[in-house]
Amino acid sequence: MSVKTVVSFLGPYRFAVFIALTLTLVELTVELVQPLLMAKIIDDGIMQEDLSVVMLWGSVMVGFSLIAFAAGITNSFYAAHVSQNTGYDLRSKLFGKVQSFAFSNFSQFPTSSLMTRMTNDVNQIQNTIFMSLRIMLRAPLLVIGSVVMALFVNVQLALILVLTIPILVVFLLWLMRKAGKLFKAVQARVDRVNNVVQENLTAIRLIKSFIRRNHESRRFTSASNDLRVKTVKALRLIETTMPVILLVMNGSIMAVLWFGSIGVNTGGASVGEVVAIINYVTRMTGALSIFSMIIIIFSRARASSERIADVLEADVNLKDADDQQTPPLITDGDIQFDDVSFRYPGTTRNVLEGLSFRAKPGERVAVLGATGSGKTSMFQLIPRLYDIDHGTIRIDGQDVRKIKLKYLRRMIGYVPQEAMLFTGSIEENMLWGKEDASKDEIEQALTDAQIHDTIVELPKGSDTVIGQRGVNLSGGQKQRLSIARALIRKPKILLFDDSTSALDVKTEKKLLDALKSYSCTTIMITQKMSTTMNADQILLMEEGKIVARGTHDELLKTSALYQKIFESQFGKEGMVHVKKIH
Amino acid sequence: MLKKFTEPFKHEKINLQERDLKGKEGQTTKRAEDWKGTLKRIWRYLAESKVRLILVLIMIFLSSFFALLGPFIVGISIDEFIVDQDTELLTYALMGLAVIYLLHSTAVFLQHFWMVRIAQKTVFTMRTKLFEHLHKLPIPFFDKRKHGELMSRLTNDMENVSNTLNSSVIQIFASVLTLIGTISVMLYLSPLLTLITLMIVPAMVFGMKWITKRTGKLFKAQQKNLGELNGYIQETMSGQRIIKTFSQEDKVIEGFEQRNTELRKAGFWAQTISGFIPKLMNMLNNLSFAIIAGVGGIFALYDMITIGVIVIFAEYARQFTRPLNDLANQFNVLLSAIAGAERVFSIMDEPDEISDEDNQIDLVNVKGDVTFEHVSFSYEKEGNTVKDISFTAAVGETLAFVGPTGAGKTTMISLLSRFYDPDKGTITVDGVDISKVKRESLRKHMAFVLQDSFLFQGTIRENIRYGRLNATDEEVEEAAKLANAHSFISHMADGYDSKIDSEGEGISQGQKQLLSIARALLADPSILVLDEATSSIDTVTELKIQEALQRLMKGRTSFVIAHRLNTIQQADQILVLQEGEVIEKGSHDELLEDQGFYADLYFSQLKREVG
Repeated sequence: MSVKTVVSFLGPYRFAVFIALTLTLVELTVELVQPLLMAKIIDDGIMQEDLSVVMLWGSVMVGFSLIAFAAGITNSFYAAHVSQNTGYDLRSKLFGKVQSFAFSNFSQFPTSSLMTRMTNDVNQIQNTIFMSLRIMLRAPLLVIGSVVMALFVNVQLALILVLTIPILVVFLLWLMRKAGKLFKAVQARVDRVNNVVQENLTAIRLIKSFIRRNHESRRFTSASNDLRVKTVKALRLIETTMPVILLVMNGSIMAVLWFGSIGVNTGGASVGEVVAIINYVTRMTGALSIFSMIIIIFSRARASSERIADVLEADVNLKDADDQQTPPLITDGDIQFDDVSFRYPGTTRNVLEGLSFRAKPGERVAVLGATGSGKTSMFQLIPRLYDIDHGTIRIDGQDVRKIKLKYLRRMIGYVPQEAMLFTGSIEENMLWGKEDASKDEIEQALTDAQIHDTIVELPKGSDTVIGQRGVNLSGGQKQRLSIARALIRKPKILLFDDSTSALDVKTEKKLLDALKSYSCTTIMITQKMSTTMNADQILLMEEGKIVARGTHDELLKTSALYQKIFESQFGKEGMVHVKKIH
Repeated sequence: MLKKFTEPFKHEKINLQERDLKGKEGQTTKRAEDWKGTLKRIWRYLAESKVRLILVLIMIFLSSFFALLGPFIVGISIDEFIVDQDTELLTYALMGLAVIYLLHSTAVFLQHFWMVRIAQKTVFTMRTKLFEHLHKLPIPFFDKRKHGELMSRLTNDMENVSNTLNSSVIQIFASVLTLIGTISVMLYLSPLLTLITLMIVPAMVFGMKWITKRTGKLFKAQQKNLGELNGYIQETMSGQRIIKTFSQEDKVIEGFEQRNTELRKAGFWAQTISGFIPKLMNMLNNLSFAIIAGVGGIFALYDMITIGVIVIFAEYARQFTRPLNDLANQFNVLLSAIAGAERVFSIMDEPDEISDEDNQIDLVNVKGDVTFEHVSFSYEKEGNTVKDISFTAAVGETLAFVGPTGAGKTTMISLLSRFYDPDKGTITVDGVDISKVKRESLRKHMAFVLQDSFLFQGTIRENIRYGRLNATDEEVEEAAKLANAHSFISHMADGYDSKIDSEGEGISQGQKQLLSIARALLADPSILVLDEATSSIDTVTELKIQEALQRLMKGRTSFVIAHRLNTIQQADQILVLQEGEVIEKGSHDELLEDQGFYADLYFSQLKREVG
């Protein structure tokens, strides 16, 4: 099934495949004619000492080989065209599919594994296609041709060959199946190696500061050794092809000799026929030795096809609903959670339990709560990164599951906890928020995010290139860029996931003031009281539930937990101070 | 219809730098040396399995020998026993043949059996060496490179080497062996005709040069493009959350298409041109036969040679080109391996930060006296990230860095841990200049809670134990309790044995920080570094950890970076940084009295509340 999925990618190149195969047939024909020409040159020319015959057939032969050469070169173009385009299509399709993945798919296919599948596995298939279009036809045709020719020579003796072929075919099929499984295990080990490397690169500072070089080396060595053992196992199985083929074919030579001897005795065969048939057996052996190679690449390709098909056929369970109305644009940013419960796919515990609240258009809502109380989980539900298990989330009165993902997310500006910037210039990173943003818009967003002054001072300004993780910027600078990226969208809903943690209080205040000019509903996860004070509504979360809500002043009076948080930031004196005022 | 015909020839040409392709004499030889160097290095790894390699060689000899012996006996059997109808002798001959065939198969089996092992061991060693070397490279190296690109070297490039070693070594040996054999026989039969046959060699060399000159570069370009594609995949995978919420799927797909197209371009030309080799060899092969027939015919006319010799010779000439053909093919495979190996070796050749400190000092006991003297540093060597910083942290003191983002706080810590070395000035620990101390020996005395709290795939327990590998389960739990992580851990389904997956799903950022703190607590260092260690933790929990941290910091020199000023009030010294310079220095109370930047910052919280 799965192999078929990958084979179907050859479809668009049917024509080129056909031409490539035809060209190999041309080559093959020339190759088969070649011995006849040689025989002619030797028998009619050299033997007869007739130089003109030699010259005539010699030039015919040269002509033929030039034709074969031309066919071969052209074949190279067509075969590469098919294989590289198929590889290209596979990669594109894989990448596109992965982009449509829901987060639950990612726990099924870790990044490192997806990377292996998109590069390493596709490479295997690419090489297989190229090889197939060049030699695949050749080996079977040579084998079949030899058997047919042998049948013409002497039916009884040739039966021996007819009998050996099925044995070999069964053996080769069995081997291919078995090797396919082994190679699948090999590719899984490549995933693991990839994974360890990826972790190590991401955590290089941590590893260096804890001096865990040797520990990591051991971990890597174990993964890499596993890969080695599995590879050796698979290859060793495959490498038995050659000796076995040799043994079977040589065995049939012995049989031909034995039965041939009897045949000569009883008059059923001539010595010449025995010689001829043995000649064909030798030729078959030569052609069959190519099979060893074919088996390797085919069983690898089989394993890789399955891995690719796994991704292509993966169920994406978070899609646009079928019964979508015409795109209901989000105009107000009215967010309503109604008895929402949620657990991460594949886990058993609810991280959110019966959550209900409403953020009215233009409101600023602060979400406060202990570490692990479900704040970020709740946030991710708004742009529908996950689907909920119970309840409904409505935006502008519309169930989020009914809104086209594109439209939903277009109106949301999300600033995640960890500021992830992409390789490229600052300007390019800003364009992530809005593709067609003008210079002015970029400047405005950077200014509002309180980072414009810093950027202007950089030698290359907004053309400054930032690294993979934005390494040459400080944590706070990255955070502000990531805020600017959200602001530039002019979203109707702005989500700040503790995104001001690295900002000092003054900068934060300026930022919050600048936000006032944006007409949007803002929800901010925060630890800082300074952020909550000006909020229209504060939600206090604990263990996946909202335990208190209200304004700063209300909560300060009613909620013991809120008082405790306040105290933790301003000390007892602060609390006393506040109480005096009230 | 016509379009379908011409499509394959319309692939965009790849720009291989005209100058390089045409190449002056000097450049081509340099290039060849380059290959030789790479091959030699691969060979050095292979040679580590010398004994097995010799065994493989012996098996190649044996299998070639049996391969010749078999037909020889078959010939005798037919000529002598079948024609003469000697059944008894035929039986003996067949028995002999059976033994020979068995031995032949065994020899073939063994040569592959051992070669696979040698090849995989070589690949394993190279991979391990590369990985170990990566860890010795300084931090700036990693700043400049994409992770996925580096990953591609450890998998895709190594894969190229692996594929080649598995098959090519045997093929090359066998081909060379047959080549020597046939040339000897040909020389024996007719030196003159041999010479004529060898005339195709220059044509072959010329053709091969034309091809390999291109494929060598094309393979390299292909591997490079593959690496870049891998880098792009990695980056977009780790940025999925952003891509999804900003619905930028189309944009990244477009970016992917671009790199994918580049890869296809290089791949197409590499594959097409390398596909020329067997075709070229085939043609030359046929040409040589025609030449032998023609010239041989002329010789025969003048009785310089017998017809029988020409016939046999023509047959051998055919055999002569087969190993050459094989060699040419293998050469091509070899080129793709070299392209991979070069990329692997280029990383191994990056100067590491460990070996340049062979004769540097080992710090044995550290009390924790840290001094910065006029330290300046910048990442890009233009402008200063930190300027002329001086301070002293006495043993057991807690020192806090405060300041707006981008003021250089994290940079100070990177300098202290020697992730980077200062451009100017010195940093000393216990009076020893740390630029003269081995990096690992320095870090051994420090424990870090870094800004990005990273967790490895594995259990919670393993992640905490990372701080001290030989810690007992009790110690791990003790550290978790101190860091206030115990309660959420025990809430998890499998407690300390709960698995953390690559996405870290189900664990919040704050919980990650708690685990990072537990990890550092376990390390028990002389110098403790906390860079925004509690930034994502709620303030109530933070307060609880603060007590634990205070206890921990007692008797140790500690460096703390925090934005929440209340967490650093107890610090012995607070350094206020702005634009890489220390603008204020003192204790919390002193700084409040000064009514400067710090006081401003501190009061801004309360003031707003009260006001």
